[in-house]
Amino acid sequence: MATLAPGVQTGPYHAVLDHIHPEPTSFIRKYIFSIDHKIIGIQYMITGAVFFIISGLLAEIIRTQLLTPNGLLVRPDTYNSIYSMHGSSMVWFVVIPLLTGAFGNFVMPLQIGARDVAFPWLNLVAFWIFPVAGVILFSSFLVGAPDAGWTEYPPISLMGPPGTNLWCIAVFMIGISSTMTGINFLVTILKMRAPGMTLTRMPLFVWAQFATTPLSFIATTALGGALAALFIERVFGVPFYDPKRGGSPLLWQHMFWFYSHPAVYIMIIPGFGIISEVLPTFARKPIFGYKMIAFSSVAIALLSFSVWAHHMFTSGMVPWLQLPFMIITMLIAIPTGVKIFSWMATLWGGAIRWKTPALYAAGFIITFTYGGLTGFFLAAVPLDYHEHGTYFVVAHLHYVLYGGSIMSLFAGAYYWWPKMSGRMYNETLGRIQFWMVFIGFNCTFTPLHWLGLLGMPRRVPNYDPSYQFWNVFASVSSYVMALGTLLFFYILVDSFRNGKKAGPNPWGARTLEWMIASPPPYYNFKKIPAVLAAPYDFGNPLPYIGLDAADGAVEATPTHSSHPVPTH
Amino acid sequence: MAQRLVKPKTNLGPGFWPVTAFIVVLSLVMAYFIETSAEPIGLKAAGDPAGSIDALFRFLGVVAAAIFNAVVIYTVYFGIVFRMPKNAPPNTIGVQIHDAPVLEFWWTAIPTILVVILAIYSTKIWVDLQNTQGDVLTVEAIGYQFGFAFRYPKLKEPVVNELHLQLNEPTTIHITSRDVLHGFWLPEFRQKADMVPGLVNTIRITPNAVGEFRIICSEFCGAAHGRMIGKVVVQNQQDFARWFSKQGGTQGRTGGGIAISAGKADAGQKLFGEKCSACHSVGAFEQKQVGPGLGKLFNDPAHPKLVNGTDVTPQDVARLIHDGFQGDMGVMPSAQVNALSNADIANLVAYLAGLSKK
Repeated sequence: MATLAPGVQTGPYHAVLDHIHPEPTSFIRKYIFSIDHKIIGIQYMITGAVFFIISGLLAEIIRTQLLTPNGLLVRPDTYNSIYSMHGSSMVWFVVIPLLTGAFGNFVMPLQIGARDVAFPWLNLVAFWIFPVAGVILFSSFLVGAPDAGWTEYPPISLMGPPGTNLWCIAVFMIGISSTMTGINFLVTILKMRAPGMTLTRMPLFVWAQFATTPLSFIATTALGGALAALFIERVFGVPFYDPKRGGSPLLWQHMFWFYSHPAVYIMIIPGFGIISEVLPTFARKPIFGYKMIAFSSVAIALLSFSVWAHHMFTSGMVPWLQLPFMIITMLIAIPTGVKIFSWMATLWGGAIRWKTPALYAAGFIITFTYGGLTGFFLAAVPLDYHEHGTYFVVAHLHYVLYGGSIMSLFAGAYYWWPKMSGRMYNETLGRIQFWMVFIGFNCTFTPLHWLGLLGMPRRVPNYDPSYQFWNVFASVSSYVMALGTLLFFYILVDSFRNGKKAGPNPWGARTLEWMIASPPPYYNFKKIPAVLAAPYDFGNPLPYIGLDAADGAVEATPTHSSHPVPTH
Repeated sequence: MAQRLVKPKTNLGPGFWPVTAFIVVLSLVMAYFIETSAEPIGLKAAGDPAGSIDALFRFLGVVAAAIFNAVVIYTVYFGIVFRMPKNAPPNTIGVQIHDAPVLEFWWTAIPTILVVILAIYSTKIWVDLQNTQGDVLTVEAIGYQFGFAFRYPKLKEPVVNELHLQLNEPTTIHITSRDVLHGFWLPEFRQKADMVPGLVNTIRITPNAVGEFRIICSEFCGAAHGRMIGKVVVQNQQDFARWFSKQGGTQGRTGGGIAISAGKADAGQKLFGEKCSACHSVGAFEQKQVGPGLGKLFNDPAHPKLVNGTDVTPQDVARLIHDGFQGDMGVMPSAQVNALSNADIANLVAYLAGLSKK
């Protein structure tokens, strides 16, 4: 049993790994400008949560405006700014920072048995760019916020209010932050795994972060170039995009989507990773098809670079180019389908404990499948001619971004909350919260598909009176969703005040982060553990040795003889 | 040392086959209703190519419904059947299975085949759209903040926000914009193209129902984007002819009557920068941007003819600028699309003639 698997190094290598830095003592170095990946992860989480609340409020203004055909609340130009800021903030300041910055930072180093990321100072800089960029973005409301949608297509964005310049700066900055994090994580995952953790013994969340990193630092450069050109054209009048002066509006669209389609996968692949952690833990089963799930993430990441022009089927590119983009887009359905089926097979034959994270994971399977299928309707070029630029697109993108990314964020938040805070949350309230969000979400966005097909374009502050019923239905449902989100924050506060102590491994999970105290000590692992086997074999004893009981580990050394059992 | 583990039974689960049968029957019933529905997207059709696009929608709908039924029903069913029993000991675990290569092969192969079928079917419809004959009537649609202007070949003045079409007449619409991006969406024809300044997109439709239908701007274009709505008026032959003559339709389309000698080269130079330089340089012919360089237009032995086959005389150049061009070589918007008056054309010709003398 206790023999080391091939590739496990011991001896001098281990001695180097066992060097531990002292913990900083000043408040500022400990909690503000910390280089500890766990603190940085929590900083990302808090900052992202603030932007999530602001963006959610903007979304509710949008839905309230659409209660009446002529617009209930705000003037059309204000409305344009509000949905533009909602989209920009949700994409760049909520979903991406929460999935990679927050969960990636907090969980990934723990899961690979590292004491920190490869470049802690770079991590510190990458984080602090984020709130500064966020403040710059939202300060554009003071001078006239951007109003041409989160895509800011020129020429209209060239004429937009001054805040559009701030938008360029803020998104450019967050792109730098994202690039830094991508490189940091890539090196961390390649170089800092515990001895014995081969690539195919990595938890799937780590695989997901790994597949995301090249997207972060390759695609983001294209966006940076496009943003710089837009800024230079707006401020210094160099004509990149203005057709009247020799520029090309399509240039922006190509550059923007060359980033923003891979960005869709920056926003979903880590979510896939969260679902792949939650399902085996609560089904108490090995994940079904580990390698297929891991490799399909990489396949999706690679394919995502060659599908961007499916956002531009009606824009006026060379017609024959539409076909390869359509076919490659459709191909992405295959690795995605493999994942969905593998998750369903993980549920099959399980001993499923329907805790809140598991409910969110199952809800994710359903809503994300829905979003994937409507994606197929948009990929088929002839159908896209009808659907492009309508509420069908709005509904589709919210099914994959809310029903996919945000649902997985909720799953991850409930799943790792005990590890982060050391306390359990109220399970009953958690389940109620899930059903409020799940039902509210589906009732908000399903009718929008129909409205789009019937003739409601996106980005309008008013609409034909015949669409009012389903708009009101969607708006009222969105209020249920908003209440569910408020309840989520109440649950977290309640957990701090009344939550039971979580203990190191409340869910009986098998990955490394659950083998140490909750919350983890500053150095994570007193001794770097050696990894002997794959992460999700609940029928086998724990696959790790070398964990120290002094860290509050589940079992004292040797640990490989016992099974994890849920304590909550 | 090892704790005793309670392993549950490993059959497919109680009721697996009845649930599977239910999924199949439900999907077949939905397929029947989708395939026989006259208006699968809930919107009536007013002409081609709406029919073939609705057919594609039905086909995708059948496949998507079957997949969605399977995913939702199996997920819920597994979730209920394989939940941890209330009184189960906490160390209960599920079936310890890691993979099933045969099953995985099939759930990769079958979606791959489906994707190939759907891609071929979509491609076939796409090819049909590209090959549509649509040139009995040709109309230019120009978007501006916030309306649509339509130019007909034999009408002097544009028609605003109303696109009159003749029943069963294949129509080609050339689409562009005067200022920012707009979207030209004909929901009842299931067709859309962006209106891009400096670029001409084309859609082809054949109306087959008399009546009024919507034109909706589908690309954000400014504060009144939501109010940028026009209408298609499909009329039978007599009504269309009556409307057309009321608009002052005349026979023949010429660039004649332009007083070329009155052109001023410096005014033309300014105009060229505003209207032409997006596509044309003032270098040699080979310095092509979208169109050829025009610096030696009147003095280029290698290119003795204009793109439309006429000689390179000032009158012919004026006519080309006036009428625009559309053919294998590319597309140039007409003077109406470019908002050029006859005096502007004369100025441009004077400027180009001056360039060629240098």
